[in-house]
Formats: sequence, structure tokens, C-alpha cells
Amino acid sequence: MQPLAKAASDDDRPLIERVRRGDQDAARILFERYFDRIYNYAYARLGRAEDAEDLAIDTMTRSLTRLDLFQDQGVAFSSWVYRIAHNATIDHYRRQGKATLVPLESATLPVSADPSELAVEQLSNEDLHDALRALTDEQQQVLILRFFQDLTAAQAAQIMGKSVGAVQALQHRALGSLERALHGRANN
Amino acid sequence: MERLERLAERLRAVDPVMPSPGAKIRGWNLVLAAVEQSATVRSRTHPVRRLVLAAVAAAVLLVAGAVAASADSLPDSALYPLKGVMENVRGALAFSPSDKLAYHLDLARTRLTEAEAMIARHRLDLAGQALSSLDDQLDDAALVVQAEMQSDPALAASLENRLVQAIATHDQQLAGLEGQVTNPAAIAAITQARDRAAQALQTSNGNPSASPAGNGKGPSSSPHPTPKH
Repeated sequence: MQPLAKAASDDDRPLIERVRRGDQDAARILFERYFDRIYNYAYARLGRAEDAEDLAIDTMTRSLTRLDLFQDQGVAFSSWVYRIAHNATIDHYRRQGKATLVPLESATLPVSADPSELAVEQLSNEDLHDALRALTDEQQQVLILRFFQDLTAAQAAQIMGKSVGAVQALQHRALGSLERALHGRANN
Repeated sequence: MERLERLAERLRAVDPVMPSPGAKIRGWNLVLAAVEQSATVRSRTHPVRRLVLAAVAAAVLLVAGAVAASADSLPDSALYPLKGVMENVRGALAFSPSDKLAYHLDLARTRLTEAEAMIARHRLDLAGQALSSLDDQLDDAALVVQAEMQSDPALAASLENRLVQAIATHDQQLAGLEGQVTNPAAIAAITQARDRAAQALQTSNGNPSASPAGNGKGPSSSPHPTPKH
């Protein structure tokens, strides 16, 4: 697995100050630090490389040109960037008119009587991505942040504006929903 | 629980989807363009600069408002000193003898209005100051006329006629005011103002030592002027 660059927080502050003063080199460093991660996040949410590219560019543009709105008070720059990406995702869905926020619990996905039948190790990445996109918005977000982006529960909590406990509970429910979604795909 | 742990591990093993090098270059070019444009806009309207501009605008509005309000202020008003400042500015901008005379006569008229208002408010101290200032303005106006006597007698005559008319008007107003008040101090102040106005007229004639009252040389027994028509 090719690792994503570490999402910095403390290291970002001097760079942010330099970008605010018009330093393009600092902007480039922040771009390099976050563009891949946001692209990865966007691809996991949207499933199309073109859409992911647009969303990543849009997110980085907003992040680096609206630094006057970023107040480094308890929220890391990385969390701010992810929040922008999340909002851009919601905007994308709205523009597309796509109703993706249907809770999985209300969907008609079959549940296997024997969960061990699902050989998760054999699932393709595409299967996982597709099943993931059947989850609710929050469930997708928590799984992507925790497992695709390799963030801690605390970092995910800051991005999502929830407590760590709430994120952990959401993560548990999201995994259960993902499992059911995969069962549903396997049975269809 | 173990199933979910396995599923979580499988998710962690998913290869991250990375952008193509071309996408990244395109992305940086677009972001850089936006950053440059943003920096240009920010330099034009930096928050500190915006704050300073706002403060300057507020100060200008405040001063303009105060100046406008002070124009009609009376001696018992807090804005009255500002009125004096603005009058001095006006005086500094009057260059020709005609403009200077108009300036002093205008201020004399203003002082008279202020004196009437202060008497009506029983502020005799301030009324006395206004009347004194009225006479100062008439003295200055007389000096303007006198200064032109040698260099341009025709202009001096014209200016003197304007001064005489103004003094006559003021004298009529002062006489009316004198008849309305009963306070001896106020009456004394008004009488003194009338005498000094007449003296100013003598000064404009180039005869500053002439007695303003009771000298018996004029056609009228009154020391106060009659305008030439």
C-alpha cells in the first residue's frame, strides 16, 4: 500500500502564515501535503477520477485563498481542509441531484444468516468502494477518514465536529452497515 | 466483532487512489493562479488597510459632521471653538481686499446674531464677548478699507460704502436690541459696541483718533453712521 503523506497540523502553522503573506513556495508545500489526500478522499466519496480531481482542486483553491477565514483556534488546518472537502462533496451531490444520503438501515439489502460466508480478504477494492458509497454520508466519512486516510479517532472527531466517543460509535455502525452492503452485493 | 475487525483491516489495506501526475500539475496551476489573484486582491484590501481606511472614513465623516454642525453653533455650544477654527480657515483663503472685507462683515453679522441669542438666553458674559468680537471684525474691515486708500482710492471708496452700509445695519439692530434689554450691563455692552462700530468707520476714513461720539463735527448729532447711497 502506498502511504499517503502524513497529515500535519503543527507544521502547517508557519506555512499558513507565509501563504498569508503571499509566499507561493509555502502554498506549494501545503498543496503537496494535502492534494493527494483530498483527491483520495474525494475519489472514495464520488467514485470518478474526474470528479475527484475537480473536487480536490476546488478544495485546495478554497483552502489556500480563504486563509483569512481560517482561525487556528482548536481546529487544525488539516481538519479545516477536510471540512472544506466534505462541504464540496455535499455541493457536488446537490449539483448532481444525487440522493445518496439514504440511510442504509432503510435500504433493502439482504443480511446473511452466516456472516462468515463473506470472505472480506477476497473483496476487490472496487467492491469495497462501491459498497462504501451505499452508506450514509456520515458513515462514508468516518470510514474513509479512519481507514483510507489513516487518521486517528480524535482527528476524525475534529473534522466531523463530534466527540471521539461518537466517532467510535459511528465507526462501529458504519462497519456493520458496510458488511451488510457487501453481503447484499454478494447475494445479488 | 471479529468480523468487523477483519473488515476494518481490509479497508486499511485498500490502496489509496492517487491523482495522475497530469492532474496534479493541472491542479497546482489552477490553485497557483487563484492564490496569485487572491494575493493581489488581498494586497489591495488588506484587513489592516481596510481597518485604517474605515477609521479614516469614520473620522472624516465625524469631522465633516462636526464642522457642519458647528457652522450654526452658538457661544455656549461645545462645537463653538470648531466654528472659530473654520472661520480662521476661511479668513486665510480670502486674498483680495473685496473678499477680505466681505469676510469681516460676514463674521461681524454672525457675532451680532450670536450676541442677540446670548442676550435672549441671559448669557450676558457671552453676549459681551460676541459684541466685542463684532467690533473687532468691524475694526479689521475698516483697516482693509484704509489699506486701499493710497493705492486704489476708487476701490477704497467702494469698500468704504459697503462698510458704512454694514455698520448702519448693525447699528440699527443694536439700537433695537438696546431697547429690548433692561439689564444695565447689557445696555452698557451694546452702547459700547455701537460706539466702537462708529469708531471703526472713522478708522476706515483714515481718522482713527476721531472721537466716536459727541464731537459735534458731523452733520448728525448721533455718532452712528448713515450709509451713503
